[in-house]
Amino acid sequence: MKKIAILLAFICVTSLSAQTQYEKGMTKAFELWKNNESAKAVQMFERISSVEKDNWLPPYYAATVEIISAFDIKDEAELTAKLNKAKTLLDAADKLSENNPEILMSYALLNTAYIAFDGQKYGMTLSGKNVAIYNKALAIAPNNPRVVLGKAEWDMGAAKFFGQPLEPFCKDVKKAIELFKKEEQTIKFYPYSGLERAKEILENCEKKSSQN
Amino acid sequence: MKQLFFLLFVLTTCSLFAQTTISGIVTDKKGAPISGANVYLDGTYDGTATIDNGTFTFTTEETGEQTLIVSFISFETYSTTNLVKNLQNLTIKLKEDVNTLDAVIVNAGAFKAGENAKVTALKPLDVVTTAGAMGDFVGALQTLPGTSNVAEDGRLFVRGGDAEETQIFVDGMRVFSPYSPTANSIPTRGRLSTFLFKGITFSTGGYSAEYGQALSSVLLLNSIDEPEEERTDISLMTVGLGIGNTQKWKKNSLSINASYINLQPYQELYPDNNEWHKPVQSFGGEAVYRHKINTNGLLKLYGAFSTVNFDVTQQDINMQEGIRFGMKNRNLYFNASYKDFLKNDWSIQTGLSYANDYSDLDIIDDSVQDTENAAHLKLKLSKFYNSRFRLNFGAEYFITSFNEDYTALNEDTYNYTFNNNITASFAEANIFFSKKLAANIGLRGEYSSLLNEFTASPRASVAYKSGANSQVSLAYGQFYQNPKNEYLKFNTNFSAENTSHLIANYQYVKNKQIFRAEAYYKDYNKLVKYNTEQPLPTANYSNNGGGFAKGLDIFWRDNKTIKNTEYWVSYSYLDTERDYKNYPTRATPSFASQHNASVVLKHFISDLKSQVGLSYNFASGRNYTDPNKSGFLNSKAKNYNAVNANWAYLISPQKILYFSVSNVFGTQNVNGYQFKNQANTNGIFESRTIKPAADRFFFVGFFWTISDNKKDNQLDNL
Repeated sequence: MKKIAILLAFICVTSLSAQTQYEKGMTKAFELWKNNESAKAVQMFERISSVEKDNWLPPYYAATVEIISAFDIKDEAELTAKLNKAKTLLDAADKLSENNPEILMSYALLNTAYIAFDGQKYGMTLSGKNVAIYNKALAIAPNNPRVVLGKAEWDMGAAKFFGQPLEPFCKDVKKAIELFKKEEQTIKFYPYSGLERAKEILENCEKKSSQN
Repeated sequence: MKQLFFLLFVLTTCSLFAQTTISGIVTDKKGAPISGANVYLDGTYDGTATIDNGTFTFTTEETGEQTLIVSFISFETYSTTNLVKNLQNLTIKLKEDVNTLDAVIVNAGAFKAGENAKVTALKPLDVVTTAGAMGDFVGALQTLPGTSNVAEDGRLFVRGGDAEETQIFVDGMRVFSPYSPTANSIPTRGRLSTFLFKGITFSTGGYSAEYGQALSSVLLLNSIDEPEEERTDISLMTVGLGIGNTQKWKKNSLSINASYINLQPYQELYPDNNEWHKPVQSFGGEAVYRHKINTNGLLKLYGAFSTVNFDVTQQDINMQEGIRFGMKNRNLYFNASYKDFLKNDWSIQTGLSYANDYSDLDIIDDSVQDTENAAHLKLKLSKFYNSRFRLNFGAEYFITSFNEDYTALNEDTYNYTFNNNITASFAEANIFFSKKLAANIGLRGEYSSLLNEFTASPRASVAYKSGANSQVSLAYGQFYQNPKNEYLKFNTNFSAENTSHLIANYQYVKNKQIFRAEAYYKDYNKLVKYNTEQPLPTANYSNNGGGFAKGLDIFWRDNKTIKNTEYWVSYSYLDTERDYKNYPTRATPSFASQHNASVVLKHFISDLKSQVGLSYNFASGRNYTDPNKSGFLNSKAKNYNAVNANWAYLISPQKILYFSVSNVFGTQNVNGYQFKNQANTNGIFESRTIKPAADRFFFVGFFWTISDNKKDNQLDNL
């Protein structure tokens, strides 16, 4: 009897692990993304979100991957089609998890994609929006390293434009790195990443500052 | 234990279900395979992407009825619900999404500026950084084709129409006196401050049935729905000062701004050819309150108050001492609008605007007091059937009540008054036949109680995408407008004035370059005529006038070829004649110039943190009547030329220094000629050249923004 129970328990465990299709799906999607198959990754995340109706992560990733891939686009029609789709997905994520700093960062990234495409056309209206987003995110999550880093990067862009010193923002990047190191990674598939990028920015920052 | 067994049994068996294969092909409307489309069963992990030949296959353990979803960017998402076993060898044709940037746009006649426009002839910044525009959005619009440069007036003259044939709307509601009053020969400015608006549509003809009481053109301004942040703006200018503040709360926001303009110091430094007893002094205040209701509802209340005072003596050839003209004007404007989405894809837009305008004029020894109360009420409903068919309809009511008290030198007083109320309703369908072919078809009906007349105005426009980057559009419409107040105050036995527009447009848009050519024909009917030198109570009035305007408008904008530089070139050819007012015969009116051209250039110099702008305006000479020759409007004044320059220097992200000079080279332009009423002893009528008040105008301003956002500045207010 015991043996049967153990056997069944074993089967149960394997089938349970088979049951977490969510994990399988997410892992697959990240793999696709890593292999530069953004379109397929987005589709995978979309499919997952059609099942995981209470989880903000799948639509968040679907949108974010879509936005990141939009930065290479040269055709405005394609750009807006992609970003409109991303916006719909982000809105869906935002409904599931309101005032989520990670989702806010993706909204800012979406605006940045437009600004990067045509600064004269989109800069005036969207840069104000982005500052409002960063301020809001910082008020909600002052110790979120991605928020601190995102705001610092944005401010550095502006400072560069006006030829102002970058040092105060390098400090913010340093602070972000500390926060990254302190961050407890407890939720699976949560977008904890960003430390590498922060280090890169800090390196550039220190180079530039020492030149001045 | 038994329960556990059962549970385990269920868990283990669920993975033993038979697999079903789902397969098919995805194509576009014409049958061309679509690769990379996302195909999946809704609510499951089962799905795949189509391969190069458009086919897909995947397996599922689901049974029974399932929904298969096929989605691909730029196409409408397809879904079908069926038994899983039936989802095999499917042929799925995706419909193109017509809501994309590369879909055809029904745009004959219209120029759009703002973030939501698909093709922007003007960008938001352009409205304020165009050299020579002096921060007035009307000035920037005058660099677009279809407008005539009438330097002494400053208002919009569109395609052979006079300035009163253009109506301005804010959030769909009429603005009754959009321009500040000025003395003769001094260009006016718009009263509305630019920074409250996020989108501008300037239609030079063939516009929607939603808009009426405009013969030639409508200018649609959309105010900002939600300000980005709290901020304070301070402006110090050579002509006055201004201050603005925006406050934001969770569901509400309030923006207020006030400005004071006094031209005295400027005129003492640079006297012009008028003798100012009291230079122009104006005070203006505006407030906008926005309130969000539920998720999508938005209520906006806008109020503006302004006063303008001046007292001037202007030269006149028939009066040696000149003509003295004093003006005290007070204008109050209020606009409330509400929009919301309702159930079943309906949406509602409703509003009310009200204006009270009071002018106290002293003309030599006569005194005139005009009071106009006007209101506009509107209700519009839209039903969004699908992305290919949308229906809008609504009703509106215009109320105008006018009163004039006239006191002559001999203390005789006269009173003129009328009420002009108009009821209107409109319906319009927006139809997309495909991504390449779209049409708007509408009808507008109006009843004027003053004229006791009903008019019906059909409007239609259609657009066809002729190539990947090009499209052609056609538009036709009938337009009615009641005669002007200056006639209605003396006579009300009129019909509405009428035009019909026929427009053909070609547009080519590629990679930050726009080319547009538009040909039009306008037929004017029932224009008001009278038989005295000025409109007088004693004149005989009729609707026997008429005329035509035809022409070609060309626009080219290039933001790509030269680095850090944007430029555009506009050219308008206009051929027009009309018989109206007291014209003895059909003639080209004195406000119409045959050729108009503008070149606008903007260059950003990063090293200097500056944007420099240059513009050139050209208008061929306009007609005037020389009594020394036979005939009417028989001579042409010389051409108008002006080169304008501006320079915006960003001292720091939030402080801007701004310089602007209009007519840099001081070209001696001529606004027209005035002739003596009586011939001299040699039988010749002597003349006087009417010149602009000053050849050049200098402007220096310092603009400072205080906000959390260290990057914001007032570049958009200049």
